[in-house]
Amino acid sequence: MPRQREDHKDWYKLDNAGVLYTALQKEEYSALYRFSAVMDRPVDPAALQRALDKTMPRFPSFRVRMRRGYFWNYLEFNDAPGPFVKEDMSNPCQPVRYREDSGWLIRFFYYERRISLEVFHAVSDGAGSLVLFRTLLAVYLRELGHEIPNTCGVRDVDTPPEPEELEDAYARYIGKTSLHGGRERTAYPNTGTPEPFYTLNTTMGFVSVAQVKEKAKSYGASVTEYLTAVLIQTILDKQHRENPRREKPVALAIPIDLRSFFPSETVRNFILTARPSIDPALGEYSFPEIVAQVHHYLRLNVNRQRLRAVFTGNVRYQSNKLFTIIPSIFKNRGVSFVYKSTGVRPYSGTYTNLGVFQVSPEMAAHIERMEIILGQATVPRVHCASISCGDILNITFAGTLCESDTEREFFRFLVREGIHVRVESNRRCDPKGGSPCPTA
Amino acid sequence: MSYCVNCGVELDGTAHACPLCQTPVMNPRQPVDTFSPPPFPTRRKEVPPVSKRILAVLLSAMLASAAVCCGVLNLVLKPELHWSVFVIGAAIMVWIWLVPPLLLRGIPLPVRLLLDIVAVGLYVYLISRDVRGGTGWFLGLALPIILTGGAVVLFLGLVLQNGKRSILSGITIVIGAAGAVSFFAELFVDRWLYQCWTPEWSLIVVTICAALIVPLIIVRRVPSLREEARRRFHM
Repeated sequence: MPRQREDHKDWYKLDNAGVLYTALQKEEYSALYRFSAVMDRPVDPAALQRALDKTMPRFPSFRVRMRRGYFWNYLEFNDAPGPFVKEDMSNPCQPVRYREDSGWLIRFFYYERRISLEVFHAVSDGAGSLVLFRTLLAVYLRELGHEIPNTCGVRDVDTPPEPEELEDAYARYIGKTSLHGGRERTAYPNTGTPEPFYTLNTTMGFVSVAQVKEKAKSYGASVTEYLTAVLIQTILDKQHRENPRREKPVALAIPIDLRSFFPSETVRNFILTARPSIDPALGEYSFPEIVAQVHHYLRLNVNRQRLRAVFTGNVRYQSNKLFTIIPSIFKNRGVSFVYKSTGVRPYSGTYTNLGVFQVSPEMAAHIERMEIILGQATVPRVHCASISCGDILNITFAGTLCESDTEREFFRFLVREGIHVRVESNRRCDPKGGSPCPTA
Repeated sequence: MSYCVNCGVELDGTAHACPLCQTPVMNPRQPVDTFSPPPFPTRRKEVPPVSKRILAVLLSAMLASAAVCCGVLNLVLKPELHWSVFVIGAAIMVWIWLVPPLLLRGIPLPVRLLLDIVAVGLYVYLISRDVRGGTGWFLGLALPIILTGGAVVLFLGLVLQNGKRSILSGITIVIGAAGAVSFFAELFVDRWLYQCWTPEWSLIVVTICAALIVPLIIVRRVPSLREEARRRFHM
């Protein structure tokens, strides 16, 4: 819930995920992600800016700047003009600067037919940001003269925000029992040669939702489980080709939207991650076996009781008196250090599936497809994310590393599975066919 | 539409090569579209670096203020002793340690460490000028210890700079360096005081360091022990 300060401006305590993402914030790194909508015609920047000006007051939790407190960082209402839509650039998801760009933690871009929204993860998670983005697209289409109803999750910009939209859902659903999973084993890091600052190589694959669904169904799995298994298989093969002395487990961080387990309208963070893994040291796994492992792992571990116990443990340290009195500068260093051992080393990468971007038929007629980009990782490794709109499923690999092995083998695997893949990338391609990366 | 002959994926009409494997597009029936806009912008832009000038100015002001205040106070409080020189020297040393790295971005680590060592050397020299015994002990004792310590810090900085070494390897190297510093420190002290080397306490320190290093190397080398240590120490 927003609190009132002496100057009568709203401020928000950071939620559990927000504490982590602000602790990781560095000059060269910010936890950012981007959603894009490719429209049916070139974007009108003036109409987009008008739509943004109408939409932002409805979402006060995005209209914030980061403030450094003595013991905790916090989000404060940002009364600066803006945010303003800008022409897009080739290197997306650049780190945020708390003191630059009027302190905005969200950015809006346009390029040809594409409208993009970049969000600092301390502000909101993917599901929360999609509520803002969907409403913005609806208002933008209205600005262009189309009749768009406030259905399928589009919020009415003429009404004030519901208090529940601004709540810290972790605190609301905190339980009595906490669960600490213990230390996970170090996974194959899947890192590569870092590109110079700031380069985010992005490769997007577009596939048919129906084709992928049918293929996943043939393995008895959901689309998320199937694509997770494909990514694990790809990374396992990559590690095997490197011929290490002892092969390490391949594990992925799969963000779980907790709203589907704990009803909440919050547009702030409310996620947790699951960790399906395969240990090649135990023996060779066939692809159907990997799919089965992922399927059963997610079904067994992703349940209401377990998730509540895990985030209860995560949230409890925030209210620990001893932890609270540590100055934030040391606290952030500590959280960042712990994250390296518990959030980086046990994982080979991240895969997040935002699922279907639901829109009304009136809006769907003007949106060709949706795209998602996960910003850089704390180490030079590639992240994978997917989102669908209509029959187009967008699968994006993004990372600050030079090599493109993971995405290449991933999409080749899908092609071998009989799935048609169309690929687009912002990588610099040499017309003569040589690699722009000297080490690739 | 063109497809990559290696990957089997459909390519964007404006692509000159497959973004996955860099195989060039050579489709006589559909040449590369050079008129349509590419799928992603080509305009490159970078966020400006975080300005640390304010912090540098604040630190400089604090140190200068302390130095000036002590200098003025020394004029009335025990003016026969030049005690403020120590404070002013310390302020200059701390300034050299902290402020240039904030203002000069991308300063190489060896250069930065060399600056730090020179600052320490200058400060100790300043002290030696003002205490009894003159600069003899500075040249004979302090300077060799500072140079040895500086060389070890430089070595540690270069070896541990990229952060690619494991925590175990890092601890092993730091313990070994501590042993080496103590060994040379006693050597220089003995040579200065007694003109001969009679190792005593440094041998105990070196032995303890060796006793710590050997098991660490074994743990580092044996994968099962390494995993166990990581689990126990949450590394």
